[in-house]
Amino acid sequence: MNCEQARLQIGADPSAGTAELEDHLRDCAQCRQFREEMRTLDTNIRRALERPPGWVGSPRTTATWRPWALAASVLLAMLAVLSVWLLRPSDTLAREVVAHVQEEPESWLAQAHVDAQGISEALRGAGVSLDITSDRITYAQSCWFRGHYVPHLVVQTAQGPVTVMILRNQRVSGRRTFHEGGMSGVIVPAPQGSIAVLARGGADVGGVATQMQQDVHWLASAH
Amino acid sequence: MRNSQPQSPVSSISERLSAPDSRASITQLFESMRPDLLRFAHWLARDRSLAEDIVQESLLRAWRSRDALKDPGAARAWLLTIVRREHARLYERKRLELVSLDEALEGQTAARAPEPDGDLFTLRNAIMRLPIEYREPLVLQTLGGFSTEEIARELALSSTAVLTRLFRARNKLRTICGMAPAPDVSASEAAP
Repeated sequence: MNCEQARLQIGADPSAGTAELEDHLRDCAQCRQFREEMRTLDTNIRRALERPPGWVGSPRTTATWRPWALAASVLLAMLAVLSVWLLRPSDTLAREVVAHVQEEPESWLAQAHVDAQGISEALRGAGVSLDITSDRITYAQSCWFRGHYVPHLVVQTAQGPVTVMILRNQRVSGRRTFHEGGMSGVIVPAPQGSIAVLARGGADVGGVATQMQQDVHWLASAH
Repeated sequence: MRNSQPQSPVSSISERLSAPDSRASITQLFESMRPDLLRFAHWLARDRSLAEDIVQESLLRAWRSRDALKDPGAARAWLLTIVRREHARLYERKRLELVSLDEALEGQTAARAPEPDGDLFTLRNAIMRLPIEYREPLVLQTLGGFSTEEIARELALSSTAVLTRLFRARNKLRTICGMAPAPDVSASEAAP
């Protein structure tokens, strides 16, 4: 894939990503930046399309619908604001997770599975145990993040390699989705912290995050 | 003289017909889609009144063809397709693109509630000003949720042509939003 083909694909659908495109983006900073810009633009296009100019409700609906229409409008506006909030790239925790993962680009490329001892070392001090079979984990490190050592794993899934960071000390009030730095991800709350799950490109990792909530067991305390 | 609020087409239909459960449920289904259809038609027709006419006519057509809708889960896409075709018919009949957009937008400005977000206001008007060949696939994709292949089938274009139009639509909006335009792509516009 060359830059023109990449631009065509990104411009036609900024949220989409193919393996070929991701390969190209890995080596092309200009196209990476183009995709970031187009994703931001696309978020605004979606918001703009929600309400055409002069859109003031539905005059042909009967009067009994008006309170419902108003309530729906308020709800839609709240959802739109919430979506923008959740998707905004300035989310500090998400940004720091992305920055951390970007500092370890080799983590995505690991192919061999990590043995039990390697996983055990990565989990050391985090106060968690895992239900994931070790042959799915191709990268496991204990990384310094926000003043604590946290497990940084790469798990092979149906969507390709997915990074999982188990953040014992980082509590979040709800599920946060984000797109930043060529990655898409989600941070989900957990009993004693949160779990960040990221993939390269626009892959939906929501299902993986839900699975991780079940597969990570939180021990009474970190040791 | 008519002094009551005009009824929605679906309501009118349901009043004219006896209403067994299946008819009531399909009426409800159509009615629940009405705001989406109206929004979609508005972006295509660039005029609220026309959009309402298009949606009314589309819902009547949909009602007459309701037996063709086998899966209620596909109703939204089916209705959006009917709206798009109804708009295309109207466009062909009346050459709506000859209407001055500036006048249309100015007319809407008078009735518009204040726009709190200047950037979105600019973007909305920029989308309205896109030529129909760019605006239509963009709206089909972004509001309608249609895939490139589905848009290609609906517009009788090749997938590559649809990709090109979507790219150019966003590239135009990109420029209006103050970003440097990306170099244009060269791709075939040939039908499949």
